[in-house]
Order: sequence, then structure tokens, then C-alpha cells
Amino acid sequence: MIDFIQNTIDGVMIGSSYGLLALGFTVIFGVMRRLNLSYGPTVMIGAYFGTVLYLDFGAGLLVVAAGVVAGAVISGIYVERLCFAPMKAGAGIASMVSSFAIWMQLEQAAVLVLPRHTYPFPPLATGLALEIGPLLVRPDHLIMLAGALLLAAVVQLALYRTRFGLGLRAVIANPIAANLVGVDVKRSVMLAFAAASAIGGVAGFLVLAVDQQVTPMFGMWATLKGLIAMMIGGLGSIPGALLGGLLLGVVEVHSHWLFGPQVRDLFAYFVLFAFLVARPGGLLGRTADVELSHRV
Amino acid sequence: MDDYLVSVLSNIGVISFVALSAYLLLLTGEISFGQQAFFAIGAYSAGVATAMWGWPLPLGIAWGAAAGAACAVSLGVPTLRLRGLQFSIATLAFAEMVRILFELVRYQIEIDGEPVGPNGTEGFRNIRYIFDHNIEPFDFMMLIYAVLAITLGGFMLLERSRLGVIFRMIGEDATLASLQGIAVARYKVLAAGMAGALAAIGGGLYAHLTTYVEPRTFDVMLGVHSLAYGLIGGLGTALGPLLGVFIDVGLLESVRLFAGYRMIIFGGLVALLLIVRPRGLLDERLVHGVGRLFRNTLSGSTRTRRGPR
Repeated sequence: MIDFIQNTIDGVMIGSSYGLLALGFTVIFGVMRRLNLSYGPTVMIGAYFGTVLYLDFGAGLLVVAAGVVAGAVISGIYVERLCFAPMKAGAGIASMVSSFAIWMQLEQAAVLVLPRHTYPFPPLATGLALEIGPLLVRPDHLIMLAGALLLAAVVQLALYRTRFGLGLRAVIANPIAANLVGVDVKRSVMLAFAAASAIGGVAGFLVLAVDQQVTPMFGMWATLKGLIAMMIGGLGSIPGALLGGLLLGVVEVHSHWLFGPQVRDLFAYFVLFAFLVARPGGLLGRTADVELSHRV
Repeated sequence: MDDYLVSVLSNIGVISFVALSAYLLLLTGEISFGQQAFFAIGAYSAGVATAMWGWPLPLGIAWGAAAGAACAVSLGVPTLRLRGLQFSIATLAFAEMVRILFELVRYQIEIDGEPVGPNGTEGFRNIRYIFDHNIEPFDFMMLIYAVLAITLGGFMLLERSRLGVIFRMIGEDATLASLQGIAVARYKVLAAGMAGALAAIGGGLYAHLTTYVEPRTFDVMLGVHSLAYGLIGGLGTALGPLLGVFIDVGLLESVRLFAGYRMIIFGGLVALLLIVRPRGLLDERLVHGVGRLFRNTLSGSTRTRRGPR
């Protein structure tokens, strides 16, 4: 029983990183209705930027964090300008494929800058795990969870309580009508993309500061985990993204504990598949918002 | 022809089958991230048939194709009502499940004192059919291209047939197609099965080409790549995906000049290309245009070109 509770706690902690990644994905997909496969790799570029600051200039934790976010935003805007802004309305798949091409490009760039396989990343919080009765909680995990909850709340408030959020929701509902009532659609989309990249940067910083290392595999990992968490939680829903991430984390930790690492991944994909077939819209999403067809 | 060229061309040939498989589904409007699963199923099934059961190669490949089609149909049925991104992610989840299952499967028998068969993450070594039967790499390449030529012929027939029109119609607008009395679900499952068989044929050839398969080969990258081939090469004709494979595998392999920078150059070029031609180099408009030009030249008339469209 203690193990079960401990695993659930660990799952929630790990799941909060998936939730963070899904948050950025949800903002991009919610606004564009297009899939950005380069999302993880742009976060990875940010992470490499942060690592260089840390290794070569001995930067402190906050500077590294700022560096990761800045790197993610800059590479994110590069992706938006190249793969999304110039595409016509009907070219959803073309955007996706070209974001995949840029993924390869970014990955190669990261390997060229730092050719070794792993690089150290500054730790978030050192010190012993907190003991709560028989249970253990790592302080850096707690910071990550708090960060996820805080960011989700900020995004939710920004979408529903600010003028910019109102404009963005108008763009989501109908870009042409939004344009007619005076919303600068292109600018809104680019700002949303930058915001999503910044969220991804924060997510990447927290995850890597917990892992204390960065590898070129991080890009693919971040894209897959964020995508899966978003699909389980529900497309276009901010609480759904967080919930999907937490659920994925809990499922993973439990199945890892019970069956080992290979079955963990098998189980995670099975849960995703079962969810999609049984409830295509995800936990909190609407089914109508999923069109990715080239004819949209 | 030197060995290197033969191996590059053989690779282009087998990868083309996965690209065509993804292309066939694109025609019906579905974006699959999971065709590498059927490539894997074909590779393992055909390998088991020839290396462990002692079947002849054609029978092994056919058996792999049947297994691929059966798995694709059983995936197609539950994912029928999924649309767009949901379908893509469901196929991705399925393909990853298949890959991890192959990491777990151990099925080995003793042949000549050595264990043969799939061995988890170690992969499936010694699919020695082409050595045992003294098939030269060049001859095997010709075999790959013969099967590919037959497949392309099949695609050309398909494009001219009622079935091909139905596939493209479902891809354009499934609701409209069903209003015309087309059993959309049945045709979608049919397309999924055909695509599964195609990828599996490629997998069977691949297993015998490399004599060795491992689960890691069949990861998401292969699936997204095969999808990208159709997009880069063009969605207007089955030659499009082949052109895409040729550009990626052929040109990237040959342009060693750029070494570490080749992905940076290639990635950027693909992104720029898709801005100019969002449906690939050989898109529908170009294919129709070339077709019209041909017909006009053959009939010696220029009237149709000047006439109203």
C-alpha cells in the first residue's frame, strides 16, 4: 500500500513535466489547428543554449533558465516563420512535414554545437528528499509540480481574462471574423507561438534540471510526451493538458514498478490507443477540434 | 555497377514500399504515423518463414504481406471513426506498441547448432536466404525493382479505376462520398489493408536485403519519413513518393560533401520547397498538365489547349 501511494506520488511528479510540455502543444494546436513536430527540438535548442551558458560562462540557475526560455522562443519563432506563417490555409500536412524537416535540422545543429552525447545541466534543488511519514518527496519534483500548476493557471487566465486572450479565442473560433472585428490575426498567431515556445522552455528547463543532463534525444522525447499527454487530456483544453500529463505519469510509474521499463512504454501507448478509440476527444476535449486534413 | 551503388539503390527500392503505403492512405485523406509497423511485421514474418520454417522466398514475402494486411485491417476497424490528428496519433501508438512487442518477443529454434529467430532487443539475425541460395546483391536489387515495377503498375491501374476515384473522393470529402452512396468505412478498411500489405512486402524484402532486423529500425522516425516522402515528391501520382525517397536516400547518401551539415541544408530546402509547392513536386496540377500535353501531342491537335477549361 505504501508502495502504491509512493508510486502514485512519483507519477504525479513526473507527470507534471509531461503536463508542462502538453501545455505548450495545446496552445499551438489550439490556435493553429496544425501539428508542430519541431516543438520538442526547439525546446532542446533552448536547453543547449542554457547548457552552454552553464558550462562555458558558469551562469547561475536563473540565467540558465532565462537562456533556455530565450533559446526556445527564438527557435520557435524561426519554425513559425518558416513552416507555419507562409503556408496557405489548405496546407496543414505541408506545415507538419516541414516542421519535421526543421526538427532534423535543429537536431543536427544541436549535435554540431555540442558533439558529445550527454552534457551536464545545473541541478534545480540539491538536498535530501522530504520525508512525510513513510513517504519520500524530492524537493525539485515539488518545484516542478508547482511550476506546472502555476503555468497552467497563468495560461488559463491569460486566455479567459485578458484582451489578448479574447482575441486569440476569436482567432480560434473563426480567423476571418476575428480579422473583421479588428484582431491582427497574424500577430496574434505569432505571439501565441512565442508564448507556447516560452512554456516549452520552462518545461524543458524544469525537466532537465531534475535529470541534470541533456542529450540530443531530448527533442524527440519532448515532442512525443507532450503530444501523448495532450491527446489523452483533450485537445484544446488547458486543464486537460495538465490532467493528461499527470495521468500519463502515474500510469508510467505504476507499470514500471510492476513490469519494468519496456512494458512501461508499451502500457503508456496502450492507454493512449485505448483512450483514442474509446473517447477520441480525450478526457476534457471536444471531438470536433481535431481536423488536420490537407483540405481544411 | 559497384557494391555501394547497388546497396543505395536497393535501399531506395525497399523504402519506396513504405512511402507508397503512406501515400495510399494519404489518397483517402488519412495521415498515418504508423506504416513502419507493417514494414516491421512483414520483415519479421517473412524472415521467420524463410529462415526458420525453410519456406521459399516468394512464399515468405507473400506470407509477410498477408500478415501485414491482416494487422492493418484489424487496426483499421477500431480507428475508423477517428479523424485527422486522432487517427495519426492512434497509428503512432499502435506502431510503437508493435515495436516494443518485438523487443519483448523471443522465438528461437536451433538450426545447425545455432539459435535462429527473433531475440528481443538483440533483433533477428541470420536471415540468410540470399546467401544460402547464392543470390548476388545485384540480382536481389533487380528483384526489388521488379516487385516495385509491378506495384507501380498496380497503382497506375488503380488511378484509372473506379476504386482509385473512390479513394481520392473519400480523401477529398468523406461526407460527400457517403452521400453519393459510397460505403466509406468499407473502402477505408480496404485501403488500410492494401497499404499494410504494401509496407509488409517492403519489410520482407528489407529483411532479406540486410539479413538482419532489429526493433529499433522501425521507430517513429521511419514512419514520419515515409509520410514526408509523399509530400516532398508529390501527391499527384505514385511516382511522387518514389521521387521523395530518391531525393532523401539517394541525394543525401551521395552528397557526403556536406557531411555534418547535410541535414541542415536538406531540412531547410524541404521547408522552403513546401512553401512553394505544398502538395509536393509532382502535384495533381502538374500531373494533369503533363497528361493533357501528352494527349494533345499524340492526337496532333492544339484545339483542346486553346479551348475553354
